[in-house]
Amino acid sequence: MKLKIGIYWGAACGGCDVAILDTHEKLLEIADMADIYLWPVAMDFKYSDVRAMKDGFLDVALFSGGVRNSENEEIAKLLRKKAKVMIALGACAQLGGVPGLANMYTREDILKRVYLESESTTNPGGVLPLESARADGHDLDLPRLYNAVKTLEQVVDVDYTIPGCPPASLQIYSALGLIADDMLPKKGSVIGAGDRALCDECPRKKGEKTITKIYRTHEKLPDAETCFLEQGFICLGVATRSGCGSRCIKSWTPCRGCYGPLDDVADQGIKMLTALASVIEPKEEKDINAVLDQVIDPVRTFNRFGLAASMLRRRRT
Amino acid sequence: MKRIAIDPITRLEGHGKIMIFLNEEGKVDNAFLQIPELRGFEKFVEGLPIEEVPRVVTRICGV
Amino acid sequence: MAFEPRIVGFLCNWCTYTGADLAGTARVKYSPNIRSIRVMCSGRVDPVFVIKALYEGADGVLIGGCHPGDCHYQEGNYKALRRYLLLKRILPEYGIDAARVRLEWVSASEGERFGHVVDEFTEEIRKLGPLRIKESLLESMKDDVAHHGEEHQAPTGEAR
Repeated sequence: MKLKIGIYWGAACGGCDVAILDTHEKLLEIADMADIYLWPVAMDFKYSDVRAMKDGFLDVALFSGGVRNSENEEIAKLLRKKAKVMIALGACAQLGGVPGLANMYTREDILKRVYLESESTTNPGGVLPLESARADGHDLDLPRLYNAVKTLEQVVDVDYTIPGCPPASLQIYSALGLIADDMLPKKGSVIGAGDRALCDECPRKKGEKTITKIYRTHEKLPDAETCFLEQGFICLGVATRSGCGSRCIKSWTPCRGCYGPLDDVADQGIKMLTALASVIEPKEEKDINAVLDQVIDPVRTFNRFGLAASMLRRRRT
Repeated sequence: MKRIAIDPITRLEGHGKIMIFLNEEGKVDNAFLQIPELRGFEKFVEGLPIEEVPRVVTRICGV
Repeated sequence: MAFEPRIVGFLCNWCTYTGADLAGTARVKYSPNIRSIRVMCSGRVDPVFVIKALYEGADGVLIGGCHPGDCHYQEGNYKALRRYLLLKRILPEYGIDAARVRLEWVSASEGERFGHVVDEFTEEIRKLGPLRIKESLLESMKDDVAHHGEEHQAPTGEAR
């Protein structure tokens, strides 16, 4: 029996879908074991097709992208009904992802900037999108833009998560293999990733960390072998799940946390704050502050992918 | 007045829907392309360290 | 009913908690607004405890540790200081007044001083007012619901 799967995207970039396509020839194996009943990037199924399905018709729904508007939430709930298993695919579905950074602003801030203020926009009438409007005698509607980005599990029950931005293609393939072989672990698990921090798979040499100066990534050339954090670069590997293959590290770039937190970590961003503060060397308040002055954008660095999932979730309004 | 919805449009990156309105004779009276998505990158990149911007704006589109 | 600040205190066993205990046995009168939680060392205090306390309804959080150099575990209080100083920097970005989190060194013999610290901190929080993170979060997201076929105007702008 072939699996029936549906693949969807909320507030997404398509990178997770490309990651599925990037399984290359393994895509043929995926096509052998599954029939796809929804995949907007690649196939012409419509929402009406999904609404017409019986509940539980799909074996698996893979949902990437965050929940930024009412349509994202509606389709998430629709797929939850129509699928036996709901999987959060990628950092946006799991944590809100990069679009979650919008949680430092309100929807009004966003609408103003995008439609009225941005330098490349010509909008002399000051027109903003509306949820319902009348144009040339016809009624039109748009989804409601939410004031905050939500994660998938903040709107529906999520059975499994495949993390990453994007998830490594081979990890998606192996996660689909678990589904096909009916070897999924207990519900709620993260699959297609490790259960230790990135440091465990990182090829760089780790020693004692005593940071006296913090560098932005362009301020000096890192040496070839030593841990980035030890050299004073902020690297979120200490607070991030392994499984990505250290692709950023291997490209001489410190980790920004896209694989999300480890099990039992309530807040990845605060975990990173703790980790970084713990290895700063000075003991006197003014010396500590001199080093911390060099951490230039802590909130959006520690929560680069996870702001929407963090405990505080957004800037207070 | 009949209304046909193509929702979502497919085989591209992004969200879109097309609303087609037909008159009594069944001819197209008007059609509208709507984009039911907005993430606001233009706003939330403000204030990011410049060297981090490439790592953020690559998430506008993964295709 | 006037606002009564709710303060959570993470107090280290060897110094501050013992100092608070002394305040008790010496019958020092001080504001009853603090809920004290004993930890073995101020270095045990993960900033996530502080954030969780604020999220779950605390208006202020006090971290109490041994004076620098006196930590029972040698350097735990320095870790607490580093984490605290970084935590203070991020709170205003979320719209939370950094004064709501405070780190104090209070030794086991400083019972009176513990009372003063709590009194002072309570009054500071009283002036800042209730924090109510959860309430303001829910308020800001109250319209973030999926609707069906309801007429709804966006706050600004008009259709042409």
